[in-house]
Amino acid sequence: MDYRTALTTCTYCGCGCNLYLEVLDGQIIDTIPCKTSPVNEGKLCIKGWNVHEFVQSPNRLTRPLLRKEGTFEEVSWDEALEFTASKLRDIKEGYGGDSIGFLTSAKATNEENYLLQKFARAALGTNNVDHCARL
Amino acid sequence: MIKEVKKRVKELLDSGKITGFLGLRDMNGHVGPHLFCDGGDLEALVLGDRERPGDSRYPLNKQLIHLARSYPEDTFGVLVRGCDERGLKTLSTWNQLHPDKVVPVGIACPQELAEACECLRPYPDEFVCGEKVEGCPYDSVAQLDGIDLAARFDHWMREFEKCIKCYGCRDICPMCFCKECSLESNELIRTGDIPPEMPLFHLTRAVHMAGRCIDCGLCNEACPADIPLRTLYKKVADIIDEEFHYRPGYVADQKSPLNILSQPGVE
Amino acid sequence: MTNSVAELENSDCIFVIGSNTTSSHPLVATRIFRAKQKGARLIVADPRKIHLALMADTYVRQNLGTDVALINGIIHVILERGWQDQGFVEERTEGIEELKKTIQSYTPEKVSEITGVSAEDIVKIAEDFGTADAASIVYCMGITQHVTGVDNVKSLANLAMLTGNVGKESTGVNPLRGQNNVQGACDMGGLPNVYPGYQAVTMPDNQKKFESRWSASLSDQVGRTVSDMLSGLSDGSLKALYVMGENPMLSDPDTAHVEEALKAAELLVVQDIFFTPTAELAHVVLPGSSFAEKDGTFTNTERRVMRVRKAIEPVGDSRPDWQIIQEISNRLGYAMAYDSPEAIMNEIAEVTPSYGGITYDRLEGSGLQWPCPDRDHPGTKFLHKDAFARGKGMFHAIEFMPPAETVDPEFPFWLTTGRIHVHYHTGTMTRNSPTLNAEVSEGFLEINPGDASQLGIREGDEVKVISRRGQIRVKTVFTDRVERGLVFMPFHFVESNANALTNPALDPIAKIPELKVCAVRVEKAA
Ligand code: SF4
Ligand code: SF4
Ligand code: SF4
Repeated sequence: MDYRTALTTCTYCGCGCNLYLEVLDGQIIDTIPCKTSPVNEGKLCIKGWNVHEFVQSPNRLTRPLLRKEGTFEEVSWDEALEFTASKLRDIKEGYGGDSIGFLTSAKATNEENYLLQKFARAALGTNNVDHCARL
Repeated sequence: MIKEVKKRVKELLDSGKITGFLGLRDMNGHVGPHLFCDGGDLEALVLGDRERPGDSRYPLNKQLIHLARSYPEDTFGVLVRGCDERGLKTLSTWNQLHPDKVVPVGIACPQELAEACECLRPYPDEFVCGEKVEGCPYDSVAQLDGIDLAARFDHWMREFEKCIKCYGCRDICPMCFCKECSLESNELIRTGDIPPEMPLFHLTRAVHMAGRCIDCGLCNEACPADIPLRTLYKKVADIIDEEFHYRPGYVADQKSPLNILSQPGVE
Repeated sequence: MTNSVAELENSDCIFVIGSNTTSSHPLVATRIFRAKQKGARLIVADPRKIHLALMADTYVRQNLGTDVALINGIIHVILERGWQDQGFVEERTEGIEELKKTIQSYTPEKVSEITGVSAEDIVKIAEDFGTADAASIVYCMGITQHVTGVDNVKSLANLAMLTGNVGKESTGVNPLRGQNNVQGACDMGGLPNVYPGYQAVTMPDNQKKFESRWSASLSDQVGRTVSDMLSGLSDGSLKALYVMGENPMLSDPDTAHVEEALKAAELLVVQDIFFTPTAELAHVVLPGSSFAEKDGTFTNTERRVMRVRKAIEPVGDSRPDWQIIQEISNRLGYAMAYDSPEAIMNEIAEVTPSYGGITYDRLEGSGLQWPCPDRDHPGTKFLHKDAFARGKGMFHAIEFMPPAETVDPEFPFWLTTGRIHVHYHTGTMTRNSPTLNAEVSEGFLEINPGDASQLGIREGDEVKVISRRGQIRVKTVFTDRVERGLVFMPFHFVESNANALTNPALDPIAKIPELKVCAVRVEKAA
């Protein structure tokens, strides 16, 4: 039996409510609002209360997909990463780093956003970095 | 206080009487529910009194049901205050928990909390720490009963109007265990609207909790609109008591007169 | 936000404009309810009669896209009656004379004509806001998603400064950030013109600093915005787009144009947790892990940096996004060797002054609100306490300008878009949540019963909604939340994609499209 509660921050809106994900044997079974949070003081909205539901949805993407002759095929990480890296390299060499654009994400963590813009700026030499947050 | 609780939990775990103890833990700078499985690892166990007594209570019985459903053979310990113990008793009459698979570790609440809760019995039958204090009457109910009907109706409608339909009052409630919830039925209450139909949504829940609500107040604390739900349910509890002489959880094994016939249990 | 969410509770007056707070930021609404309970005056201005309007002391429905006029009108009355905070204006601001000149002509009567708000209501708002001890402004996308978005925001800043409601507790101009980590995405340099911490890429000192820290040579040219990237793909000047966790096919205006642009890409990389409409167009799709499967931090709307903690292992073969990026970077020859998100945060703190004092250890408990420049700094509850970043606060004299598209005989309805309480953004996550999807499972068009009967439609009927850019079919909901002549649609639903209709016209400075206003025609579906 492996029962645990993990304290985290809601991934939906900008309020940033703190909540516990209740995990039993690797399955997230419920969400519990954090009582001592300065933000939400033990309350959540309907999205927060159900934030665990999408995580283990059967519709999640679980394998890298590569378009081959028009249709997607499941491929190994190695193949997907190699494809991405080599295409990016080709385009950078052929047209310059400024021919590549990057959209960072209002849903990803700070660390991931930092890393993607660093990748764009340092590895590809472009400031073409933006996100859809104006929307 | 906490020393006695830790001692008791350690005994239970070390003796193998329980698989785990569902209690509260101070971790990551916050208090949250936790299953303690090792008698040597009770350092972070707390009682949920952070800044004020009882300010970080959680629906541990609800989490206990989750565990019991997946591990019906195991016995678990659980931290209980007066209200939680009422919950355990009532849940067992509804066949949601087996009393012999649960070992409550009781604590009695201090005066301050009993008053804030207007709790009729702020202590469990047995407790390992705390002092027994007198129960407190439902002043909030009396106060509303004192104003005339039209004003009272206005008051409630103004409160209900704030509802954002988070269903938090239901989701946090240790006594809500139906597989299908009438609050979600589109035939009864149109889905998608906020505020939800007034006063239908709130009265539906109040009626549903009649004979089941053990007056823990967790719904009230979870309501993002600060609607005084606990007062509403206290009032309903008074009515049931007058009519049927029944208050859930105060007498062991006593079943709700409202639902003797239909038991949606898990058995 | 300049101030913190909890401070709202103690405001004496809260002016909510262009924010459907109970739906989009419910836990901010909690504080507004509490302020009201404590006796605060609540003013709500929104073209749609939103939930919060029910409990407002004053609720006004301004015509779509007339916010500048409304705010100028309020300012006009405040100045006329002498309700401004003269001391604050003299000590902390400049440019008041210009402002006075401009707002001269915005009499309540004239403003009433433009906005549809009565002159009495304008005076009442001016009095409530102007005479309150501590007044807060709360706004959201209803203010920013306009061609005059920046003007709207500046006008609100004018109002706050004029009344001295800046730099103290329970006041301020408080934008509610739409998505959970928009604040963080911006803070981390997810913008074409700045490095992390808003350090301009065009400043040689910044460039040098990052070049040495990152051991790379960096560009000093401001990059492309989203809309420039899309038009670059269309005209061939941009060859590749790498999209992490965004869904422009649904979130961006004028979907037909977005699709054409994405299809033109030589390389479209999409990293996401679901197979979104944007992923459908990709060459390669990389499955990322959700927030529940990794460590990290989010920064909320009040600048509070808080921990995200791993609860379960990555689902399937998915990988945390930081690992994916690191892998690709290494393969491309730019070495990255972080062993955890914490290691990344340590680097962030090193290069980002406002995050300088942030470490995972210190985030235990309540988190930290930036600016937090060093390890001993307690974080910052509200901004501009003693001075504005640029010294004195600048008033901006702003004239009202109508929206980019207005109604005409061919497209006689105003369309505005927004969120509903159960769904989030493009619905990728919420529509995969059975409980949320059961609450509202399809898109709808809100229309006034008067208009509906004139069109001969019955409630629940499917209608065609047509704009200059596209058309969709959607079922109708009759409600007086919208006045005659106005219709509303949520934008979460791919089957009835509101952004097939919306106008991509941009604010010239912020480059935000005018998603909140366009002209449409509603027809009975055959
Ligand atoms: S629980 Fe609701 S209010 Fe809180 S962050 Fe999540 S979406 Fe926002
Ligand atoms: S007080 Fe509220 S949460 Fe507690 S049992 Fe009654 S209805 Fe449920
Ligand atoms: S907790 Fe409060 S806001 Fe949420 S559904 Fe219940 S009454 Fe409404």
